[in-house]
Amino acid sequence: MVKRTGTDGSLLASLPWTLAALAFSLAPHVQFLPVWITVAFLACAGWRWDIERHRRALPRPWLRVVLALVCFLGVLASYESVSGVGPGSALLAIMAALKLLETRKRRDQFVLLFISIFLVMASLLREQYLWSLPYLILAVVLTMTAWLRMSLADDGGETSVKQSFKTAGRLMLYATPLMLAMWILFPRIATPFWAIPVDTSSATSGLSDRMSPGDISSLSLSDAVAFRVKFDGDAPDPIDRYWRGLVLYRFNGRTWSGWEPIMARSAREELLVAGEPVRYQVTMEPTRQQWVFALDIPFEWSRSEIFMGPQHQLAKEQPIDQRMAYQATSYTRYQITPKMTSYSRTRYTRLPAKSNPRTVELAQSMRRASEDDESFAKAVLQRFHEEEYFYTLRPPALGSNPVDRFMFDTRRGFCEHYASAFAVMMRAVGIPSRIVLGYQGGEMNPMGRYLIVRQADAHAWTEIWLPNRGWHRVDPTAAVAPERIEFGITGAMLSGIAASWGLAAPIAFVHRMGLTWDALNAKWNDWILGYGPDKQDSFLEWLGMDEPDWRKMMLTLTFLIAALVGLISLVLMMRYRPPPKDHAALLYKKFTRKAGLVPNCGETPQDYASRLGQDGEELAAGADRVTAQYLSARYGPPNPAAMDLLRAAVAGFKN
Amino acid sequence: MQRGSTLEQLPLGADGQRVAIDNARKSLGTIILGKDEKISLSMACLLARGHLLIEDLPGLGKTMLAQALARVLGLSYQRIQFTSDLLPADIVGVSIFRQSDGEFKFQPGPVFAQLVLADEVNRATPKAQSALLEAMEEQQVSVDGQTHALPEPFFVVATQNPSDQIGTFPLPESQLDRFLMRLELGYPNEESERALITGRDRRQMLEEIEATLSPELVTELQEAVEKVHMSGPLVDYVQALVRFTRESPDIETGLSPRGSLALVAAAKAHAFILHHSGVFPDDVQAVFAAVAGHRLKPASGSSYRSPGELSRHVLDSVAIP
Repeated sequence: MVKRTGTDGSLLASLPWTLAALAFSLAPHVQFLPVWITVAFLACAGWRWDIERHRRALPRPWLRVVLALVCFLGVLASYESVSGVGPGSALLAIMAALKLLETRKRRDQFVLLFISIFLVMASLLREQYLWSLPYLILAVVLTMTAWLRMSLADDGGETSVKQSFKTAGRLMLYATPLMLAMWILFPRIATPFWAIPVDTSSATSGLSDRMSPGDISSLSLSDAVAFRVKFDGDAPDPIDRYWRGLVLYRFNGRTWSGWEPIMARSAREELLVAGEPVRYQVTMEPTRQQWVFALDIPFEWSRSEIFMGPQHQLAKEQPIDQRMAYQATSYTRYQITPKMTSYSRTRYTRLPAKSNPRTVELAQSMRRASEDDESFAKAVLQRFHEEEYFYTLRPPALGSNPVDRFMFDTRRGFCEHYASAFAVMMRAVGIPSRIVLGYQGGEMNPMGRYLIVRQADAHAWTEIWLPNRGWHRVDPTAAVAPERIEFGITGAMLSGIAASWGLAAPIAFVHRMGLTWDALNAKWNDWILGYGPDKQDSFLEWLGMDEPDWRKMMLTLTFLIAALVGLISLVLMMRYRPPPKDHAALLYKKFTRKAGLVPNCGETPQDYASRLGQDGEELAAGADRVTAQYLSARYGPPNPAAMDLLRAAVAGFKN
Repeated sequence: MQRGSTLEQLPLGADGQRVAIDNARKSLGTIILGKDEKISLSMACLLARGHLLIEDLPGLGKTMLAQALARVLGLSYQRIQFTSDLLPADIVGVSIFRQSDGEFKFQPGPVFAQLVLADEVNRATPKAQSALLEAMEEQQVSVDGQTHALPEPFFVVATQNPSDQIGTFPLPESQLDRFLMRLELGYPNEESERALITGRDRRQMLEEIEATLSPELVTELQEAVEKVHMSGPLVDYVQALVRFTRESPDIETGLSPRGSLALVAAAKAHAFILHHSGVFPDDVQAVFAAVAGHRLKPASGSSYRSPGELSRHVLDSVAIP
């Protein structure tokens, strides 16, 4: 059996830095990783540190193999997979932990620091927030510092920690031009074959695809951004800012639901538009759903994978897993005039039997009092407006027959309640109606001149079919709380109107800060994260490249990298000062070679000269001359003439 | 007090300094025969603002060298014969109550001279020794809470009989460090001894010798010494020597930083006396034994017993860069 020796403690100085760098790089992953992986990493780090400090032996190879196997199976059990961002970063963390247990030399430490860099990159696969950027840069700088401390401990040099940090920062600065060149020029490919596998298990955000007013007794108002809109010209008036999402038409007495997204080729042909078109670009946050939001009513859009559904809603072929930007053109003056077949009429007027009987009865009696469908609809809105109905974001729960309860008892609710009640009233008298879910309003960000639409702006409204007008938008909420539509949720909150709905006004300063931050994030999304093939092409064209293609980009990139590396090398070369050549010493060496007598150790030039001089007068004179010149040239004050004299003396010396 | 009255009290300038130094060495050479090297070393010690310890048997001209130095350099001279009953007050002086003035007046002791010969310093008790050593270190004397500055320049030449003689208190190693150099004069060679025997009486010659320098000029020379050029390679050499003394298995305690400073100061003064354009390795080697000899402690197992041998070993072992 091989005798096991302890570590030699040579990593004692640099190991803490390596551990710190690893921990720093791992920290952003911790919230996503199973707890046992973090615990395993900390345990291994502590164990390894203890080994180093007490110069114990590293764990035996068989133990390490067993640990590796156990951890691998652990990852497999936690994720039921070993591919994807989650299992990948888990394996990376495990690798760092276990590599620690066999780290013996500088070479192993190299691997650890590479893993640290990999961990930083892996966290970018998960999230690419602007606010995490400084942290990640710091993590890389720390890793570089650990690297420097490691090389330093090996070379036995002494440098302060501050100095190491500075050097690491400087190295990062040196790398910046290269990084920029690569980022700008590296060809972006339209269909990313390296597409990041997304964890589909993550919770969805955005609109639900069904609606049950009364089930939830309070609406959560999330500040999260749903999408941002940049208008080519002026933004439409607030009351026209209806962002159409999905359409619900099936009602079972308490819940509205709709179709899965399907394409309807004829849907666009049913649109009649008038007035000025509104052109804009939407940058949508990922929803993991297929619905695509556009201003009512979208007429043209940029991406081929976006299509229009039968109820004139937009959707994408695949769920929106990544931030998506698209151009669209909408008309705020429009008519939707499909043929209302008897089949469609049945679909849009169906109510479950015996549900919400009081509402049905009320609708029928009101219809009898009205002239036609349109005046009936107006009467219903009038009722919402004049009688005691209240807009609130914290309505009471409704129980069974929720529409009846709402219409006659509680009379409190938000958009969903009013839209649902209105649609039910319409259907009760045979008017086709449907619910549209989407967003209404949004806040103009003065910092970036774009519209922020938040989850809090989510809205539900109604469309009814009138024989001569087609599908016509009716927003019953506007009858109850016109401020909600005119100012939007944020505007209402800021002005204090929303206080009666149960919403406190935010602090103006904080709100402004939020807007600034959002503007920065929008730029970040737009230019950094959204720098795709199209942006790259237009940016390179702007820079002066004709018809950029990947060949030209790679060529330019190669050239630029060569030029930058060359430039940096040149600068470093120019700054390098070789130690001055000791000409006097070299000349003296030549003299001793000529003399054919090797100076003894510790023999002074004068002693050497007198030893040499024992062989003859002439030799002594020559040696004295050289020695005198050598002494004053090498040990005297700097004097170029002395060097020339020495050169002459050595040249003139003859043995 | 004796002063070089014939000399102009003006700065000499570089050439004047050369001449003055050469004259002084020549004059000293006429009194102390065949000891040119020791004369250069003791002058270097003085010009490097150090103090000199001469350790040798009686009758080898220690006193003569000190007296000659004082005369030639034009310095005031006092001799203190150290005995076992010597008291500190006998060295530094006392405060005496004067009946006429009704107050105490400080009566300076013999240490108040520019060149003080402390003869047979190892005969006195450690208490008396330390009174002198303190004065050397501080350049001043404190009596009854009053501080009295010693004259400038202030140079102590202490002599010591080899410590194996009876009834002596040899200076401890830590005190030896206060002396920049320790010299051994040794016997004169045949030729010098013959000249000594046949020549005139040295004491009389000493009376007649002319001062070639003055205290002011000595100060000027001391300042010039500090400006002697030291090249990079020479600093490397000094460092290599010092490192060797610290690492050599033959040496128990190597040179301290104070020791390396002393080495540099002495080498500069030596280079100055020999009119070198900078400090040469020869200068370092010339002063090395005198400066380092009493600061190095041979290791117990070492084959180099005497300081001289040990110094030679160091110099022979370290290559000149």
